[in-house]
Amino acid sequence: MARSVGPGQFVHIKVTESLEPFFRRPFSVFRAKKQVEVLYEAVGKGTVALAKREPGEYLDILGPLGNQFCLPPKGTKQVVMIGGGIGVAPLMVLSDFLAKEKCEKILLYGARSKGHVFDLKDFKKNGCKVFVATDDGSYGVHGRVSELFNKIKTDPQTTAIYTCGPKPMMAAVKKFSEQNKLNCQASCEEVMACALGACLGCSIKTTKGYRTTCYDGPVFDIKEVIF
Amino acid sequence: MNLTVQIGNLKLANPVTVASGTFGHAEKYFDLEEVKKLGAIIPKTVTLYPREGNPPPRIIETASGMLNAIGIENPGADIFIKEKLPAFRKIGVPLIISILGHSDEEFVKLAEKFSAAGGVAAFELNLSCPNLQQKTLVAQDAAATARVVAAVKRISKVPVIAKLSPNVTDISEIALHAEGAGADAVSLVNTFTAMAVDVKKRKSVLGNFSGGLSGPAIKPIALYMVYQTAKRIKIPVIGIGGIMTPKDALEFLIAGATMVAVGTANYLNPKAPLEILEGIQEYMTANKIKDIKEIIGSLKEK
Repeated sequence: MARSVGPGQFVHIKVTESLEPFFRRPFSVFRAKKQVEVLYEAVGKGTVALAKREPGEYLDILGPLGNQFCLPPKGTKQVVMIGGGIGVAPLMVLSDFLAKEKCEKILLYGARSKGHVFDLKDFKKNGCKVFVATDDGSYGVHGRVSELFNKIKTDPQTTAIYTCGPKPMMAAVKKFSEQNKLNCQASCEEVMACALGACLGCSIKTTKGYRTTCYDGPVFDIKEVIF
Repeated sequence: MNLTVQIGNLKLANPVTVASGTFGHAEKYFDLEEVKKLGAIIPKTVTLYPREGNPPPRIIETASGMLNAIGIENPGADIFIKEKLPAFRKIGVPLIISILGHSDEEFVKLAEKFSAAGGVAAFELNLSCPNLQQKTLVAQDAAATARVVAAVKRISKVPVIAKLSPNVTDISEIALHAEGAGADAVSLVNTFTAMAVDVKKRKSVLGNFSGGLSGPAIKPIALYMVYQTAKRIKIPVIGIGGIMTPKDALEFLIAGATMVAVGTANYLNPKAPLEILEGIQEYMTANKIKDIKEIIGSLKEK
């Protein structure tokens, strides 16, 4: 599966063998080198159940699913990845795909506090400059990730933004990218049932009407997404 | 082994189909050779005009089931016929088109459009969608059900199936009226009207406020409704309601269903319908049953 994963795609995991929890859980692919890796925090019913699975156990996984980030066009001078919390996952695999790109790559990362800051050294290995903001100021800049937007070069021709994180954060990214006419792709998430575009349960509102995050997305042009 | 079943004059290779709205994008994700093994395919309900659908959240999981309030999002008949029907036809499995009109005339127009388009094996009338914010549903009114069935029957050359809502006092009574109006089969049950509350916000979770409960949680109730209905009418019953496994499907067949439609199970396991078909065949082999008709309605009541 790892070889067929594109940046931004996700896998749909049956976290237990029982009907509890009932739905599979979608996870953005975090790494896809030799094997597929996902990043999660055990906070809800599904992730807590997944955390209880033992190494070596088999999991029922559908994927890779959904569309992909479009890689930056030729002439891009600055790639900006903006991640919030666990939403950094698809940006990691994107940075793997961009590891050999010579342009400037930066990661702007926001987390609640120092304890929630994910280990970002692999972004650095991929040639990204990393800037962090925490809500409580316990690490990096004090405040929201928007405090780091001053690192972005606002040239619509040569800057490409990729973002994934909580909705308020992505709404701020949308506002900034629109004000500066920058291209920005956002990876969106909703509760999913089928993840195959059948049930239309995971739709989000866009300028083109409702679109499924599983099949039409998860990656959307941020201009189209109505947060 | 004979697995064929019949709905009106339509012969189907086997009794397993997919419930409307639960099967999509076959061309992208499925091995078509596998999909071809299904007895029939019922795509998501089509309305005369495009429908945007309900605001999110549209789904939530529950204990052994889920609520949905999608709101019959669909591109409307014209675009469906132009853009989606060809791909469904290509699969080569009999297509049962689920239609929903907001009036008798709309049901008739839909049937006419699809009849003209061709390649439709039967119609399923969605009389029971609980998400359209109307006070009553056609399927909650025996006379209205009969009226719509009769209207479509007058112009349809292919069999007409009435899909019934479980949100009634006696579903077999509605089925009886559908049969009287000429329906070739009834399918039951659609979802049970239900809700979930967000205790932090003290608001209903679903964007549409209420939704429909489906999945294994409803199976025993659906099974009893199928049993009651099959006993009362002569036309075939398509059993629907939380069918996840071959055993679930066999329960419905034994209770009187001529066919089974797999719905919510598709969301957990897209191969569920095919695994259920294989399981039925294994059961027949193990029990030396040569014809599926030996199973249908074979429940011993004493």
